[in-house]
Amino acid sequence: MPGDVGRTTLLRFGWVVLLAILLAMVAAAQQPPTNPIDRWNRMSPAQRERELSKLPPARARLIRQRIWRYNHMRPEEQQALRERYQTFSQLPPDKQQIVRDRLREFHQLPQARRPVVHSEIARLRSWPEAQRQARMIGDEFRSQFSPQEQQIIRDLSAYLPN
Amino acid sequence: MNCPIQSRNPERFVAYAAGTLDPETARALERHLAECAACRSIAADQTAVWKALDAWEAPPLSPNFDQRLYRRIDQEVRFSWWDRLARTFRPMPLRQAVPLTASAGLLLVAGLLLQHPGTIAPVAPRGEIVRANQVERTLDDLDLLRLLGTADSTQSVHPDAR
Repeated sequence: MPGDVGRTTLLRFGWVVLLAILLAMVAAAQQPPTNPIDRWNRMSPAQRERELSKLPPARARLIRQRIWRYNHMRPEEQQALRERYQTFSQLPPDKQQIVRDRLREFHQLPQARRPVVHSEIARLRSWPEAQRQARMIGDEFRSQFSPQEQQIIRDLSAYLPN
Repeated sequence: MNCPIQSRNPERFVAYAAGTLDPETARALERHLAECAACRSIAADQTAVWKALDAWEAPPLSPNFDQRLYRRIDQEVRFSWWDRLARTFRPMPLRQAVPLTASAGLLLVAGLLLQHPGTIAPVAPRGEIVRANQVERTLDDLDLLRLLGTADSTQSVHPDAR
C-alpha cells in the first residue's frame, strides 16, 4: 500500500540518520585529544625517546620532569587545566599572545596584589558579559586596581571565560 | 443517429459488444456502422475483445481461496511492531537508498557545522608524532594557565624562573 511504503521509507531514513550520527560520535570519540601533552602521552615510549633525543640532554630531562608533573596532577586539577588550555588554544594567535603577556604581568605583580587580582578575575569570569562590563567601568573597580591590573583583569576575564 | 465518435459516446460501442443496448438503439447503431468506417472499425475491435473474453476460461480457484486470502489480509493488519521494524532492514532499491543516504549525510554535516562552527579541522591521524619543542611550548602555556587555577597564586612557580 502507498501509505505503508511511505512509512517504511521514512523509518529507513530515520535509521540511516541514526546510524550516521552514531558513526560520527564514534569518529569523534576516536579523535586525538587537542592537548599536545595528551597526544604526547599516547605516543609509544620509543617514539617519545626518539623525539627527546633530538634535544640537548638537559632540556630533554627538564621536559620529562615537567610532563611527569602534569601527569601526576590531581585528576580534577588536570581536567580543569585541560579545559582551560582547550579554550586558550581556540583563540587566534594574537589573542593567545595577549593572554600569555597578561599572565606574565600578573605573575610580576607584587605578592600582596596577586590574590586580590586573582580573586577579581575569578569573580568576573563567573559573571555574565554585561555584568562584567558594568563592573569594569565602575568607579569602585577603577579605584581598587591600577591601570595595569585593570588591563590584566579585563583581558583574562574576557579571553578565558569560565 | 449521431456518430458515437463525434458525440464522444464510446460507451455505446461497449454496450453494443456486450449486447446490452436496447434493440432499437442497436439497430440505429448498425445502420450508422454501415455508413461510418471509423465507428465500424472500433465496434469490430470491441466485439473481438468481448469474443476473446468469452473464450477465456479462468483457472479454477481452490475451495478455500477466500479463507486464505482473508487470513493473509488479517495477518498483514496484525503485524507486530517488531515485524514492522524488521521490515525497514530489508534491502531497499538502490534508487531509494542513494538519495536517502546522501540526504542523511548532508543533514549530519549541516548539524555538525551548526553545532561547531569553525572547529571542523583536519583530524590528526592516529599514531601522530608530536614534536618535543611543541610539547615544550605547550608546557609553558600550561604553566601560565595554571596560575589562574591556583587559589593562592603566590605558591606557583614562575615559568620564566625555570
